[in-house]
Amino acid sequence: MSTTETILQTEGLTKTFKVGFWGRHVTVLEGLNLNVQRGEVFGFLGPNGAGKTTTIKILMGLIYPTGGRATVLGRPVGDSRAKDRVGFLPESPYFYDYLTAVEFLRFYGHLFSLRGAALENRVTELLDLVGMSHASNMQLRKFSKGMLQRVGIAQALINDPELIVLDEPMSGLDPVGRKEIRDLILRLKERGKTIFFSSHILHDAELLCDRVAIILKGRMVACGHVSELVGQGATQSVEMVVEGLSSEGLEHLQPLTEKLLIKGNQVLIVLRNQQQVGNALEIVRVAKGSVVSVTPQKGSLEELFIREVKGTQSSLREGQ
Amino acid sequence: MLLGLAAAVFLATILSLQIELDQRHDEQADRIESLRLLPRGELLRPALIGFHHLGADLIWLKIVQVLGEPVVTDQDYEWLYHALDVVTTLDPQYSYAYDVGGTILAELANRVDWSNQLLEKGVKANPAAWRLPFVLGFNYFFHLSDYVKAGEYMGQAAKIPGRPLYVDTLAARLYVEGGSPLLALQYLEVMIQQAEDPQLRVIYEEKYKEVVISRDLGTMDQALARYKQTRGRNPQTLADLVKEGYLAAVPEEPFGGEYRMNSETREIESSTHRERLRLHRPD
Amino acid sequence: MRVLSIALNTFRENIREKLLYNLLIFALLMIGSSVLLTRLTVGEWDRLIINLGLSSMNLFGVLIAIFVGISLVSKEIDKKTIYTILSKPVPRYEFLLGKYLGLMLTLLVNTAVMVVGLIAVMIYLDAPVTLLLFEAVGFIFLELVVITAVGLLFSTFTSTTLSAIFTLAIYVVGHLSTDLKQFGAQMDGLGKAVLNTIYYILPNLERFNLKGQVIHKVNVVGTDVLLTTAYGLAYAGLLLALASIIFQRRDFQ
Repeated sequence: MSTTETILQTEGLTKTFKVGFWGRHVTVLEGLNLNVQRGEVFGFLGPNGAGKTTTIKILMGLIYPTGGRATVLGRPVGDSRAKDRVGFLPESPYFYDYLTAVEFLRFYGHLFSLRGAALENRVTELLDLVGMSHASNMQLRKFSKGMLQRVGIAQALINDPELIVLDEPMSGLDPVGRKEIRDLILRLKERGKTIFFSSHILHDAELLCDRVAIILKGRMVACGHVSELVGQGATQSVEMVVEGLSSEGLEHLQPLTEKLLIKGNQVLIVLRNQQQVGNALEIVRVAKGSVVSVTPQKGSLEELFIREVKGTQSSLREGQ
Repeated sequence: MLLGLAAAVFLATILSLQIELDQRHDEQADRIESLRLLPRGELLRPALIGFHHLGADLIWLKIVQVLGEPVVTDQDYEWLYHALDVVTTLDPQYSYAYDVGGTILAELANRVDWSNQLLEKGVKANPAAWRLPFVLGFNYFFHLSDYVKAGEYMGQAAKIPGRPLYVDTLAARLYVEGGSPLLALQYLEVMIQQAEDPQLRVIYEEKYKEVVISRDLGTMDQALARYKQTRGRNPQTLADLVKEGYLAAVPEEPFGGEYRMNSETREIESSTHRERLRLHRPD
Repeated sequence: MRVLSIALNTFRENIREKLLYNLLIFALLMIGSSVLLTRLTVGEWDRLIINLGLSSMNLFGVLIAIFVGISLVSKEIDKKTIYTILSKPVPRYEFLLGKYLGLMLTLLVNTAVMVVGLIAVMIYLDAPVTLLLFEAVGFIFLELVVITAVGLLFSTFTSTTLSAIFTLAIYVVGHLSTDLKQFGAQMDGLGKAVLNTIYYILPNLERFNLKGQVIHKVNVVGTDVLLTTAYGLAYAGLLLALASIIFQRRDFQ
């Protein structure tokens, strides 16, 4: 699959709101540059209030940017020819709770001028895809949060879109619900869809995304492949579990380790870096111990995230 | 933008229709019609869910609008009585409405019966408003020549605190003098003084002049009678009465005409008002 | 077609939220008064039943028009359903128009059922049913056409509570605007100009009031009916166009 076609792009996207009676200006987004390629799962990350939803609303033509440009599928935002090929799920929507799941999807189908058998087939297929066939004639007011999220995604897929934008699709769901949505996203990716979703839950993003962007206070602080971002400057320690090590060997190992835990016959050794692995293995061999496991410890997105947040806060403090 | 254009077109349409629809109707006739079609006060009052005082004000303003125009086209005035009845049912303490309404019904519409009905309703609901029995007394005195009833109402007005002093004087004189022109003139002077509406003041001033004619004719009739008694014949002209000392002077005719002797009937008359005022003819 | 889908969805919402239950009150009112009236044999009772029927038709209609009309858009924003619709290829004015037409459809059904009820009672009481009655009902509906659009316009830029207050105010002043113009005629300069402007800009709702004519059997000229209808529709058109312009510029935060 080609990854060179740009599906979604923003250049210097800026948004200021007027708040309060006196119309004080508050900057929510500042010079945001995004670039999402066809076929990607792109995670748009940041803490609450970072400007994620504002960005998504601009992309969906719900609010107007104060500055910068944004294109979706090569057309300026709000263009109905682009909207024809986009699906969108807003953050924690309530939907028309007086409708049944089938009526709900039919209604959105009508908005794309879908009619008759084609529409009925599409509705059945989507309910099946999101695993809601059993509740197709139930009113939405009786749905659980997870069920609503799933018909919400079905709604976003009614027009078989090329780009699917999901705002916080996993928030408020229990672990099972989150797993279901994750699986759904991966299934959509298999079908060649491009998925752009926002989240403040990093674990989900780490499992799903090809690339992520992290924004803080309306500014982009990091963007790239998950593996690259995590690799950047993160502590690459290695965990090693060894059995039957003599006390002499243990003494030799001590200088190389950051942490050393003895648990019965087994010893857990945390090495400072990968360069030490060879030396450590040599010492273990000499001391006639046996290696149970060697696990390189990758930095998590969470670590990166916290580091960035702290960094921004301290730089802001310095700036003041 | 297209929507802006649409808005402009719609705005032009509603303005021209508003004007067109207004022109298709005689506004005064419409207003009178809307007053005539008012539901009865007893039904309207509950429908106004507590806003009946405001309702009374608005209907009153509408009435004033119609009456304020130079010519009231609808001369049956039934609408006026109905509307006044509605106003005073919505707000029975609206004594100004009884007062002015009663006066207009009697003076402009010439419906003393309706005027009295309205004023009596007002007197019942507002025992402390001296103007209401006062105007009723005026109606009985002037329009119905019922001096006993007039005296009773004036006496009633004279008992109410806050009245001006002349009410007492008028009441006292009504009992004594009945229908004398001098009393009528005094009564009218008060009415002219009190009238806020220029239209009404004109009406009272006319009436005043008519009573002046009637007073003058009374004086001259007396001189003529004495002349006939002593000379045994009619004088040739009014000037003869003055020349021979029966009359101090021929009074000035208040409408700008003159007093003269009718050559056929040998009676004294005014050149502007041939008919004598019925009220003051000795019954 | 999209407008129609949104309208039908709004209509369905109104039905499922049991808006038409107000008809029950109307039915009770009609049945109650007709039972009462058959016992009172004195007086003009056919007049009373027409009065009662038309007035409650008007009142219920206006209440629905105002209170449902102002929440047509704000409810969609609160529930975030508007995001899913406007992110689809639906121009904003189509959304507004669809919501508006949906409520008008509800009001049409509501009024129609009431008329049928009123006529049934009138036939039962042997009161004559005239063309004028239908003209009066048509004008009541025309008033609802305008009032709903007023509510919709306010709700595109202000809160639900303020919209309700403003719409009610327009409803009341709209019935007094002719009087305002007449008071203005007796003023001078600025006062006159202000009152005249109010008269020409605000909807003249008293034009749609034919209740007096029905009761007193005063016929209305056909041309007047047509011109007044055109006036009402043009007014609603103006309000919807303004609402669309404001709505188009709005950020949905």
